[in-house]
Amino acid sequence: MTGLVATLGSGAMTNPILDLVNSKCIFIIGSNFAENHPIAARWVLDAKEHGAKIIVADPRYTPTAWIADIFLQLKPGTDIALLNCMLHTIIKENLYDKVFVQKRTSGFDQIKALAAKYDADTVEKITGVPSGLLQEAARLYAKAQSAAIVYCMGITQHTYGHGNVVSCANLALICGNIGQPGTGVLPLRGQDNVQGACDMGGLPTVLPGYASVTDETSRRRIAAMWGKEDLPAEPGLTVVEMMNAAGEGKVKAMYIMGENPMVSDPNTEHVRQALDKLDFLVVQDIFLTETAELADVVLPGACWAEKEGTVTATSRSVQWRAKAVATPGEAKADLDIICRIAKKLGFEFNYQNANEVLREINRVVPSYAGITPERVKQVGGLTWPCPTTDHPGTPILHIDTFATIERLGQLIPVEHRTPFEMTDAEYPLLLTTGRVVMHYNAGSMTRRSTSLLKRSPALFVEVNPADAKKLGISVDEKVKISTKRGETTAKTTITNSIPPGVVFMPFHFSGTNALVVDALDEKAKIPEFKVAACRIDKSK
Amino acid sequence: MSKVIFMDLNRCIYCRSCEIACEREHNGHSFMSVLILDERHSVPMNCRHCKNSPCIAVCPSGALTKLENGPVIIETMKCIGCSLCAMVCPFGVLELDNLSKVMRKCDLCIHRLNENKLPACVSSCPARALAYDEFDVIMQKVKNRAAKAVISGAGLEPGIVVSPPQS
Repeated sequence: MTGLVATLGSGAMTNPILDLVNSKCIFIIGSNFAENHPIAARWVLDAKEHGAKIIVADPRYTPTAWIADIFLQLKPGTDIALLNCMLHTIIKENLYDKVFVQKRTSGFDQIKALAAKYDADTVEKITGVPSGLLQEAARLYAKAQSAAIVYCMGITQHTYGHGNVVSCANLALICGNIGQPGTGVLPLRGQDNVQGACDMGGLPTVLPGYASVTDETSRRRIAAMWGKEDLPAEPGLTVVEMMNAAGEGKVKAMYIMGENPMVSDPNTEHVRQALDKLDFLVVQDIFLTETAELADVVLPGACWAEKEGTVTATSRSVQWRAKAVATPGEAKADLDIICRIAKKLGFEFNYQNANEVLREINRVVPSYAGITPERVKQVGGLTWPCPTTDHPGTPILHIDTFATIERLGQLIPVEHRTPFEMTDAEYPLLLTTGRVVMHYNAGSMTRRSTSLLKRSPALFVEVNPADAKKLGISVDEKVKISTKRGETTAKTTITNSIPPGVVFMPFHFSGTNALVVDALDEKAKIPEFKVAACRIDKSK
Repeated sequence: MSKVIFMDLNRCIYCRSCEIACEREHNGHSFMSVLILDERHSVPMNCRHCKNSPCIAVCPSGALTKLENGPVIIETMKCIGCSLCAMVCPFGVLELDNLSKVMRKCDLCIHRLNENKLPACVSSCPARALAYDEFDVIMQKVKNRAAKAVISGAGLEPGIVVSPPQS
């Protein structure tokens, strides 16, 4: 998010997913949407049928890569070099959009100087991708009448995730691929309503509507709406920082809703110690998760079909979700639980239903002002910014200006960096992590479905046949995977879809995140889930 | 009038939503299985509900019939579990139920068809790799698509692309 705010002025997807059908070239980097956002595949496949060329960059040959016309199998963590190389080819061959660069961006000279260093031969050595393919991809992207970039956690979950995102934006900006149908930069969000949570200020630095907590004017404006004079001006902590603070005894109590950090956070052993150290832990969830088992109090919440309200999709589209079934047993809608707790704490949370919450959002968040309960239920989906009740919504951002202070797209040079941890003699393999189609996030829900478990029952590790031969391991063999932080066991899947020297594990099961590094990106504060050095040994 | 399930193999992304949907409709058992080939193609396999069904032709007890609206169904009370139908099926999609000792197969979600709903596998396919329609309607769509591809210079892809696994 921080990367797109710095370059385009807004951290959200610039174009909706279904606008991909209008694209003539779709460049997918660090996203395996065929497994993780299968619905996105529909529009990419439609675009392909309409003649679009598809470029996929990924260390693994995923089902998403099956769709590709050009597949760039880069080494994990070398995205910036690859993207800079595309800039290099595009600038050198004069394929960039000069009018757009001149009128709508600033910083081109620095980008030109940066790109000069990343010729295809140099970058082939860094990324492992043949120089010819790198150039071909660059030409395809730059020459297409409209081209879109799709990325996901393969770009963001690095210690230089911010830089990776900036590099994606640089590429879109110099080619003028912003603000038109079929163009844009499309970060696919990891979960439903993450976009909504961010919009509502579910981040440590902002209040609802991305009003900065350090900006007194907007802080006081929102405080006034809540009947207060002012609100705390200090930014809070991010997820991993909270866990660290808990471990240091600085955070005494935690209230965790719908999240299972014992599986989803990096360095599980550290998370356990941190949560153990808390004086008081409340977990609100629909199941007794690994995290809920550690709680002093567990509050049974509601699943999506048991509550009502809006959700904001990855493409900024706000939709109403009606309640379909009653909550079982003692479970309650989350809004109900939050209101009751707030009242006990002495706050006036007098919301009768989700309609009333949305009405408050209409008042507090300017880009949601026109998304009233009446409208959103009637039209089925409205895309913010939607400032008035007669506004149709804004599916495509940055059409005339950018949301940056200067109103220009900011080209920011970013140099290639090596990941936090690299292989050595003791840990000779690169571990990358991700998701599989059968499971969702920490698996709190999907590991309870017999249909899904039957198809993906337990933790596995993907190994290239060459590495398997070297290690003397065979298919479905139980092996021990270790990193500097811990070890776990998993069954092997031997496959050519992963290159030699790299192994892959899904994070839906306990074990994987005991291995990954908890080093953070200094700006985005996201952990480097995508690269760690590991070793594999035969299990005794 | 009978419709067919059309598989667009260029669109299948191996998400297996069809299997899960089938399982939900049929008491936890899926008659759809998506096979993966060469680590780069996936093929959803279920009963093709053939117009000239070899399974019906060989069934000695008359347990198999083709209904007017398309589905080839099995009357389990008539089935003697001889497996001849499975032996002649070119797709290997008939199953012997070990418990009841009779054959079982995809019923094209006849209960859903009767409610004017799509077969579960088709309605759950996020990539629209599966379609359920009149044969001619589907072929017309394929023709339209091919014509557009010719004009746009996108080139044509054969329905099944079996290329060697990548090195």
